[in-house]
Amino acid sequence: MENNEENAVSNSRVYEVGYLLVPTLSEEEVPAVYGNIKELVSSFGGEMIADEMPRMMPLAYKMVKVVANVRNKFDSAYFGWVKFNMDGGKVVDLKKKLDLDPKIIRFLVLKTVKENTIAAKRFVRGSVDKKPRTAKNENEEATPINKEEIDKEIDALIA
Amino acid sequence: MKQDYFSANNIKYIDYKDVEILKKFLNPNGKIMNHKKTGVTSKNQRALASAIKHARFLGLLPFVIK
Repeated sequence: MENNEENAVSNSRVYEVGYLLVPTLSEEEVPAVYGNIKELVSSFGGEMIADEMPRMMPLAYKMVKVVANVRNKFDSAYFGWVKFNMDGGKVVDLKKKLDLDPKIIRFLVLKTVKENTIAAKRFVRGSVDKKPRTAKNENEEATPINKEEIDKEIDALIA
Repeated sequence: MKQDYFSANNIKYIDYKDVEILKKFLNPNGKIMNHKKTGVTSKNQRALASAIKHARFLGLLPFVIK
């Protein structure tokens, strides 16, 4: 907390913003809004890591957003997300900006990790099966080394 | 589910966007299942609960299934 420059480096961490866009946007408008959000993030010094185009999806429940004193109910929305590296203090400002956007129904800012967090297809059976097999192989490799000694011991016993 | 699903599948970070995985841990009413039922470690159960709650906030998962 003594050196400002040091703080700027150490405070930088990975954030993710998930957002829902109003379904009233047409398909052509979505890429523009998506570009604006990315621009907004980089204007606050955000370093892009990953993102996904907003895509139409049904919502699990109805959401209400008041725009210009009108209550709008939505049961579907465009869901998209961006992952970026940003200074901790600036995220608060980013939040305030996103709050004002009438095209965003809701958004969620989260701390996350740089790695891709969406799990690939499941390999449960494969990974579980492989472990015992390798263990067996090691045992097989270990036995031949002792073979000569064992033979000698057997010979000695016979003799 | 006796074993921890997340360590078995090598999932280090439980993502709220991974709805297909999170759905496995909801009961028919949409409630989060008990750790005794899920078999998930305490640490992962806590992460799982917050991931489900984040997904609910963004409408990816329901709060209740009627």
